[in-house]
Amino acid sequence: MSVKHSLLALIYEKPRHGYELKTGFEDLVESMWPLNAGQVYTTLDRLERDELVASPGHDKKDRKLYTITDQGKEELWSWLKQPVSRSLLKDEFYFKYLCASHIDYEDKAHMIQMQKQTMVKDVLHLTHLKKEMNQSGNQTMKMLVEGALLHLEADIKWLDMIAGK
Amino acid sequence: MIQAENVTKEFTVGKEVTSILKGVDLTIKEGEFVAIMGPSGSGKSTLLQLLGGLDVPTSGGVKLEGTALQKKNEKQRTIIRRKKIGFIFQNYQLLPTLTVLENIAFPLHADGKKVDPKEIEKLLQAVDLEGYERRFPHELSGGQQQRVAIARALIHQPAILLADEPTGNLDRERSSDILDIISNLHQKRGQTVVMVTHDMFAAGYADRILLFKDGIIETEVRREDEDYAAFLTRFMA
Repeated sequence: MSVKHSLLALIYEKPRHGYELKTGFEDLVESMWPLNAGQVYTTLDRLERDELVASPGHDKKDRKLYTITDQGKEELWSWLKQPVSRSLLKDEFYFKYLCASHIDYEDKAHMIQMQKQTMVKDVLHLTHLKKEMNQSGNQTMKMLVEGALLHLEADIKWLDMIAGK
Repeated sequence: MIQAENVTKEFTVGKEVTSILKGVDLTIKEGEFVAIMGPSGSGKSTLLQLLGGLDVPTSGGVKLEGTALQKKNEKQRTIIRRKKIGFIFQNYQLLPTLTVLENIAFPLHADGKKVDPKEIEKLLQAVDLEGYERRFPHELSGGQQQRVAIARALIHQPAILLADEPTGNLDRERSSDILDIISNLHQKRGQTVVMVTHDMFAAGYADRILLFKDGIIETEVRREDEDYAAFLTRFMA
């Protein structure tokens, strides 16, 4: 995940200071990914150095404010438009399965079953998270959870398929 | 509490005996939401029928709140079902000549009990069917018909809700609506819910998933709060 671009998006929304960016980021990800202040300020320094953000001054409490530059907007649009390539075979379990098959690992069935159990537990957690999203009304995050559930369902179907071989 | 002890079920066609359940042990606590998953023919629907007293095991026993169902005759089991269990089926099983209101109230009429209009109102609200009282099943969509079936299953305030593929005929969006309703009602009313499904998406709504294979419970997975925090961190990483 690109912290740099998520900070650019938050600054595009409105001028913000460092602490506001930290809390804005945590709101964006429903507090599921804590971001330490150090990472925010290091990223801001780099964004300012690359002229993607600029500081028009300080607020009443003397906190440095940041605004997005035209160059920053271009960088943000370019990032949003760029399709994401996925390396489908980088999943670690795929490699485990590959190696296990290669050496005719005798406990492969157990390995598949344990993987399935872990994924089924993730389905339970994700559905619980989705219910929480229903209550909080965060439709965007709910869509991300739906996407993750669809991926898991496909993975579990695949595990059933290889278990039957 | 529902308990199954070493339950087997065999069906005989001619000289051929088919073993559907091969020794199932299971305890479902009061207020639990359990999903039973497995491929077609794995015995999950048969188990649900035994848990609800619609049939009896070939051997072993099923206890419903301490009562051994296999020791009761059909008439006695019917009385237990009417009192303690609500059923939801994949094909809704609504009576076509009755309105929504009449379908929901039907279990009470069949049992010679009075209909409490406030309870009907609460249920119609819970399944989001206010204003549909006078419609007939053929005037409703599949999702709406299933919502009527849920209200009907709950009108006599059963302690246990048994659902056999409740979303099997519905698309994903309608399935979500139905599962949200079942899940919310489970949370608010504290009923025990046992749901058979082949759909992992539906099973995710439960507290515990039993994975069935060839007539036995192959494995079970439960959601525990202590793992949830670690999951959230991993989810976003």
